[in-house]
Amino acid sequence: MKKILIVDDDPNIRDYLVSLLEDNGYATCTATDVRDGLKVAKENKPDLITLDLEMPGEWGPRFYRQLAQDDELKNTPVIVISGLSGNDYAISKAVATLSKPFDREELLSIIKENII
Amino acid sequence: MAENILLIEECESHAKALKLYLERSGITVFIGTTIEEMQSRIRTKEFDILLVNPFLSGQSIWPYIKKIKNGKPLLQVIVLCTKKNLDQAMDEFGTNAINFLEIPVSSKALNLAIVHARKCIANEQRIAVYSERLADLEHDRTLYQQLFNEVPCYISIQNRDLRLIGGNTLFQKDFGNQIGEHCYEIYKHRSSPCPICPVAKTFCDGKSHSTEEVVTALSGQQYHVLTQTAPIVDDDGDINQVMEISTDITQIRQLQGHLSSLGLMLGSMSHGVKGMLTALDGGIYQMSSGLKKNDPERIEKAFDLIKQMADRIKKMVLEILYYAKSRKLQYETVDVVQLVRTVVSTITSLARKNNIEIAADIPESLGYMDIDSNWLQAALVNLSENAVEACLYDKGNGKKHIVEFRLWEDEENKISLSIKDNGMGMDQETREKMFTLFFTSKGSQGTGLGLFIANHVIKQHGGEITVESIPGQGTCFKVSLPRKKPEESIAPFGKSLEAPPLD
Repeated sequence: MKKILIVDDDPNIRDYLVSLLEDNGYATCTATDVRDGLKVAKENKPDLITLDLEMPGEWGPRFYRQLAQDDELKNTPVIVISGLSGNDYAISKAVATLSKPFDREELLSIIKENII
Repeated sequence: MAENILLIEECESHAKALKLYLERSGITVFIGTTIEEMQSRIRTKEFDILLVNPFLSGQSIWPYIKKIKNGKPLLQVIVLCTKKNLDQAMDEFGTNAINFLEIPVSSKALNLAIVHARKCIANEQRIAVYSERLADLEHDRTLYQQLFNEVPCYISIQNRDLRLIGGNTLFQKDFGNQIGEHCYEIYKHRSSPCPICPVAKTFCDGKSHSTEEVVTALSGQQYHVLTQTAPIVDDDGDINQVMEISTDITQIRQLQGHLSSLGLMLGSMSHGVKGMLTALDGGIYQMSSGLKKNDPERIEKAFDLIKQMADRIKKMVLEILYYAKSRKLQYETVDVVQLVRTVVSTITSLARKNNIEIAADIPESLGYMDIDSNWLQAALVNLSENAVEACLYDKGNGKKHIVEFRLWEDEENKISLSIKDNGMGMDQETREKMFTLFFTSKGSQGTGLGLFIANHVIKQHGGEITVESIPGQGTCFKVSLPRKKPEESIAPFGKSLEAPPLD
């Protein structure tokens, strides 16, 4: 089963993504901030990551830079799901950028296309 | 110039001789030999000169001439009379006649008298024109003075030392009659000229300049003004004075401040709103998938989430509405104890769910008070929610959390409510900023409006709000409110907002 890491500081949104993805046949793990996210990523080696941009402490782009420096994780596809507008270029190498509130079907189809 | 002369002479042959003589010089002459004739001539025709022998049948007709002269001050009178009457004529006519000629009249004397009369006529006509112009000028001067005074702007005239030479009515009313003082002392209470002075610039280049300033009137009231200058050029083309016109734009600036903070608020909130909408989406998804799977636990959880999100969105929208619209309080008389019990019960479910104890020390009865119950209740609920949230954020250290409410009447008969929590507490910076618009310690969960509005609502009610807090130990809010509506209410938001600083 493919595993997806969900990084978001809002517990309600984490719950939502967990249910949505598990209902569609993915395993999930979650993290509430950048530091936690890197730790969980290293432990779980997820197949894909959804990433919020604006979080307490360090923001999403920092997470991505540190992820890219890790040889084992640098090829993991990242989907940005953020409430910030005009965020398309915040992480230019993200496979997709969705803005909140996002479209469920769109998210699922992007995951399907990008999960390795 | 061809004059009309009315010649009054009893002796007709003498009159005709004079007429003949005068007509040779192009002068039109009409003759009258009696008082009646004189009067009817005067009535029907305009004459420039009255050439008169004022002794008809030995009687002086001076009183009649005096009357005519009063009605026609421009009419020039030349008296002809015999030597024996001359003295009497001079006594009677005095300066009303420009010349006294002795009969028989010498042609030279007559010619000179006519020339003299012409000069007098010309002078008097000129004087008449001048005085008419002078009256017009006076009228214009009054009009311009009135315009200057009544313009609804502050107008001052300044010299090169930036000293005030004059000011219009509004200026004198708000800034005093401060002729001779420096502009910057009067407007800004400064001891040296302002760094950027439009008046000085106008003295330099003769052009109009403008700036925006904040000035302080005699009353202490501050005005935002748009200041424009114009040179006043003297007869030699030099600029020795500059006029400074300041328009009060305080209201515009306040409105702008209000609008820009509204925009700032909407911008800063959009992230929170999007998060809520996403969570709401999540709730709906979980609800529908729970129904599909017939999973009661998931349905209940989803319903809880939807309810929570609906509440939060509702609260946020109400806060925005409260802020966006300056509204007056709707006072009503309410039971104090009942009001506080409602507040406590509103917060209890949230506290229970998070395993936070609620304690309430509320007397049986405290009588009634006049308040806007909607807004005051919202403000108290907001303070209570903050207490519960302070406990929530403090979770994970094994501490047993409690929020304590206490209601009593203080020595000044004011209703006092304290809300005390043993949550995370606030540091000094948070404590100082907590009532500031858009300040939040809750990240995307907060709008930065709640405490700002709570504080404002309590102040509007004539109340006081104080806070004591120690980081890591907890916070205690104390609200005290008068039972009756305060006489002077705080203005609604639109007016109380500070405009942004101008540079």
